[in-house]
Amino acid sequence: MTDDQGQALRLEIDSELANTTLIAMAIRGLCAMTALSPVEVNRVELCVVEIVNNAIEHAYGHEKGHKVETVVHLEPAALTVTVSDWGKPVAESKLESASLPVDPDDPALWLSSGRGLPIVHSLMDSVHYQRDGDKNSFIMCKYIKG
Amino acid sequence: MAFEAINKAGYTVVSMDETRLDAAISESFRIYLFDQIDSGSDRVVIDLGSVRFMDSSGLGTLVATLKKMGGQGALKLAAPQPAVLDLFNLTSMDKLFTISPTVAEAIEG
Repeated sequence: MTDDQGQALRLEIDSELANTTLIAMAIRGLCAMTALSPVEVNRVELCVVEIVNNAIEHAYGHEKGHKVETVVHLEPAALTVTVSDWGKPVAESKLESASLPVDPDDPALWLSSGRGLPIVHSLMDSVHYQRDGDKNSFIMCKYIKG
Repeated sequence: MAFEAINKAGYTVVSMDETRLDAAISESFRIYLFDQIDSGSDRVVIDLGSVRFMDSSGLGTLVATLKKMGGQGALKLAAPQPAVLDLFNLTSMDKLFTISPTVAEAIEG
């Protein structure tokens, strides 16, 4: 897809964790077309993987046979990635961007899950979550500094 | 997916034939690591040299393994590639783990 504001690509996978790699590789390829640094490309890949996995694990409860859609919109100054599912919405309380504390002396704070969304909030320039009917979407934007 | 454990200078060195430690394999890796600990390994080095990409699930597996050891013995990470090291720094998990540039340095350290 191309419009007067940039180019867009729509990707669709079935809700299996093994398929997330397909999206990750496509994102890396697209990022390679931009002025994003190698570190930024790795971080964008990480954020997209986290959100796609989130859809598979939480929206669909690891159930195969559901659609996860990723739309990448590439403009000269920004890369916008929208990941959508048609499953269970994310609870409001989990959308907050609070960072998770780490205390080497307190094993109770050594959480082995729940770091995905905080990572995404810390690395992308903007993150929004929206519901449109039964469609749930995370919209993430990374500015491209030329 | 393939994980391997060898004994080296008193350590169990675990490596994997995978470039991505992500949600697709993190649970299998967790089970493998827990089996190593349950089998008596209390000094473990995880060789991350082949891993180009790690997500929060992979990170969670390493944290779960550290907790599983319960403060006994040693769990060290070795040879992380830049994107993996970046994840540790971003999440402050570098405070929890001993991270060495090579397996040899992890064993000697």
